[in-house]
Amino acid sequence: MSLAHPSREHGPVKVSISSLRAQRSNLPHGATVRLLRRYAPRNDLKSDFDRAMPRKYGLGHYVGKLLRLRGLIIFSDFRHAKLRRKIGYLLATLFVLAILVGVFVASWALLSFLRSPQLAEFMDLTPFLASVPVIIVTVAFFAVLGTSFALLLQALYLAGDMDFLLSAPVPIRAVFLAKLLEAILPNFALVSLFSLPVLYGLGAAGRYNLLYYPLVVLVLVALALAAAGLASLLVMSIVRLVPARRVAEVLGLIVGVFSLLCSQSNLLFNSAQGSSEISSAQASQALSVLTRLNTPWSPLAWAGRGLLDMGEGRWLTGAGFLALTLGGVGVIFALALRTAERLYYTGWARVQVGTRRKKVARPSRPVAERSAPLVALIERIVPAAVRGLIGKDLLVMRRDLRSMSQLVSPLILGVIYAVMLVRGGGQAPAGRGEAPLWFMQAMQNVLVYGNVAISLFVGWMLLSRLAMMGFSQEGKNYWLLKTAPLSADKLLIAKFLVAYLPTLVLGCGFLLAISLLQRASLGALLFGLAVVALCFAGAAGVNLAFGVVGVNLEWNDPQHMTRGTTGCLGMLASAGYMLIALALFFVPPVGLALLGRSETIGQLTGLVLGGIVSLFCAIVPPLLVRDRVPRIGEV
Amino acid sequence: MTNITPLIETSHLVKRYGDKVAVHDVSLEVHGGEIFGFLGPNGAGKTTTIKTIVGLLQPTSGTVKVAGYDVQAQPLPAKAACGYVPDEPNLYAKLSARELLRFVGDLYEMERPQVERRLDELLRLFDLTEAGDDLIDSYSHGMRQKTAIAAALMHDPQVLVLDEPTVGLDPKSARLIKDILRQLADRGAAVFLSTHILEIAEHMCDRIGIINKGALIAVGTMSELRALGKGETSLEDIFLTLTGGAEYAAIAEVLR
Repeated sequence: MSLAHPSREHGPVKVSISSLRAQRSNLPHGATVRLLRRYAPRNDLKSDFDRAMPRKYGLGHYVGKLLRLRGLIIFSDFRHAKLRRKIGYLLATLFVLAILVGVFVASWALLSFLRSPQLAEFMDLTPFLASVPVIIVTVAFFAVLGTSFALLLQALYLAGDMDFLLSAPVPIRAVFLAKLLEAILPNFALVSLFSLPVLYGLGAAGRYNLLYYPLVVLVLVALALAAAGLASLLVMSIVRLVPARRVAEVLGLIVGVFSLLCSQSNLLFNSAQGSSEISSAQASQALSVLTRLNTPWSPLAWAGRGLLDMGEGRWLTGAGFLALTLGGVGVIFALALRTAERLYYTGWARVQVGTRRKKVARPSRPVAERSAPLVALIERIVPAAVRGLIGKDLLVMRRDLRSMSQLVSPLILGVIYAVMLVRGGGQAPAGRGEAPLWFMQAMQNVLVYGNVAISLFVGWMLLSRLAMMGFSQEGKNYWLLKTAPLSADKLLIAKFLVAYLPTLVLGCGFLLAISLLQRASLGALLFGLAVVALCFAGAAGVNLAFGVVGVNLEWNDPQHMTRGTTGCLGMLASAGYMLIALALFFVPPVGLALLGRSETIGQLTGLVLGGIVSLFCAIVPPLLVRDRVPRIGEV
Repeated sequence: MTNITPLIETSHLVKRYGDKVAVHDVSLEVHGGEIFGFLGPNGAGKTTTIKTIVGLLQPTSGTVKVAGYDVQAQPLPAKAACGYVPDEPNLYAKLSARELLRFVGDLYEMERPQVERRLDELLRLFDLTEAGDDLIDSYSHGMRQKTAIAAALMHDPQVLVLDEPTVGLDPKSARLIKDILRQLADRGAAVFLSTHILEIAEHMCDRIGIINKGALIAVGTMSELRALGKGETSLEDIFLTLTGGAEYAAIAEVLR
């Protein structure tokens, strides 16, 4: 037994507790007295009672308080940010201002041109120009509505401060309103970035009166509030039926797929049309569809028409349309507020309680069932810890829809490219006939390996996600792995296989399907499969190494798993590796075929050269970061 | 029955975060068959000490041995001997308790039949059989805590390190944990637990260590602490005197 004094550095020194107490009694007495004065109960009971009962304030007071708190958090975050980040914020602000000015000038110039009498001689654009405010307002409204849903779900139900806010003496309506405003502000700013300068450009081009400009801001704000109100009602209704976290997961999946489809819309359009050019008939059809938004029965058209009429000096109709718009917004917002109190609280309470899904417990599989020869062989070769990790990772990925949204993207891309390839028939485009014969032959040879390249591209995207985030996706659960008797090598092998195996299956499956559809030769197929297997191994090694260097275990959103710089560098490095490896694999067979030599020898040479580089990249980068693995998760 | 060989041994353990010293020269031993209570005010360095013992943090200097193995030099055998329950039961939300325990069994290279037998026992013991196939996502804090404890017990560790194990547990579960820890110690394991509930430390622990501002200021049995206390009989009084909470206790008395 020893009592060690904290101030001593060299071993424990025995002291008695009473002597410690004596030391404490020598501490300044004044401090304790001041504390007692501050906290001691007062005799004036009336004043105490008055202090305990908070004064009644209006809703605005509480909303203002909550918004000030948010502002304080943002300001504090900025104040404590590193200088590099502060400069980044400044540059981003300047960039946004530049976009605003750029869009304004471009809109002004374009709309002035569209209004020019010279153009009017060729086509009548008056209906379209009259519809521009309606189109912009409609697009802005639906953009805010769509983007607000996810933000409101997060702000209203999944934010970490709800316990604190709902237990504070603040009306729930104020909490709802403050959350609503916090959620829509970023979206509104983003939507305004494009809609505001276009509408201002329209005003400048049409020489509208000055009242038009503040009214544009007023209408956009009002419509954003209405859109957010509707989005909040939608969120609250859905959360009553489905747990908020599940809604967020499903939403993540939908948004991921939708974003990808949007990004590939040009390809899809070309694939469907068979041409990338838009005919004048299609253009006028698109314009007429947009013009149809300007119908007197659409409340959104009232806003656009009101702005136009006010701008062009038709005061009576303009004021009428705007009054209708603002009245409609008021009704929607009031409805959202009134419904919020009831729906919001019950929905939020459901989030806290959670919903236990009762399932019949699965009986454990008997051991004998697992002792099939292949399984027994795998169990002998692969350690249980590695097997367990692979199984766990694949299971968790499959169940987490947020991760799934990132994983399905390559599959969608694969389908798009497969359709394009099949439609193209694997033939080089005929061109205009000016290319020499040798070039066309070379193109044809390259296209033979196009299937392999596309399989690699599709798989590479999946691989980048799986390998780069292999460690990061453990998140706050990483302690389980770190306290287990698991060597860095086993951990790296497991994470390598988690990334490599599904990608290999996808890439080879894709290549097999395309090759069968295009009736590729067996030799080309086998060569392609070997290239895919080796290339993915190298890319997995490179991505895994960058994933270890840029590991981030403190994330809530899967999109924030890797730190920006390392993630970008990893993508660049693995893309660079893929290009080099592809060149080494494909140049010998294509080159020898062009020279009229045996393509098989070229393929074998390519496999040796590319294989060496691929295996080097599969092994060396993970070895370089092996010593970092035991330190993952430490400050 | 206390074993002579220490199963946990820290020697001049120091952990710094930049300029801040979180743990300063902590040397202690915990023997087999012993429950060691680790007390200290918030921010005193309890969790940091625990994390260095289980290998989650690398000490700035000093050594930590678990079951005779240096945690830094021979991490695998040291970790294989150790079970850990963190203060926050962060577990894979998309696994069920059964799948999690099976995964932990794989991590510790346990034989599959043993894993199945053990996980059934633990789920039954912690009253999780019915919820065993539900996703951890849907568990309450207490259920997660019990799952974390079951995971730590899967491989029947020689050394069990628990950081605030009874937080969020109902009285029945808390009592169960206490009984399990006692049984483990009686079977020769070393149990190292941190807690703020002094009553638990006073009644459960064979020896108690008090850490304050990163330094270990007292180590001993309850009776040894009382003997040195010269007047203080309860662990609460001893703790408050040593860690400087006595003034606040006096203020609280005035407020009553």
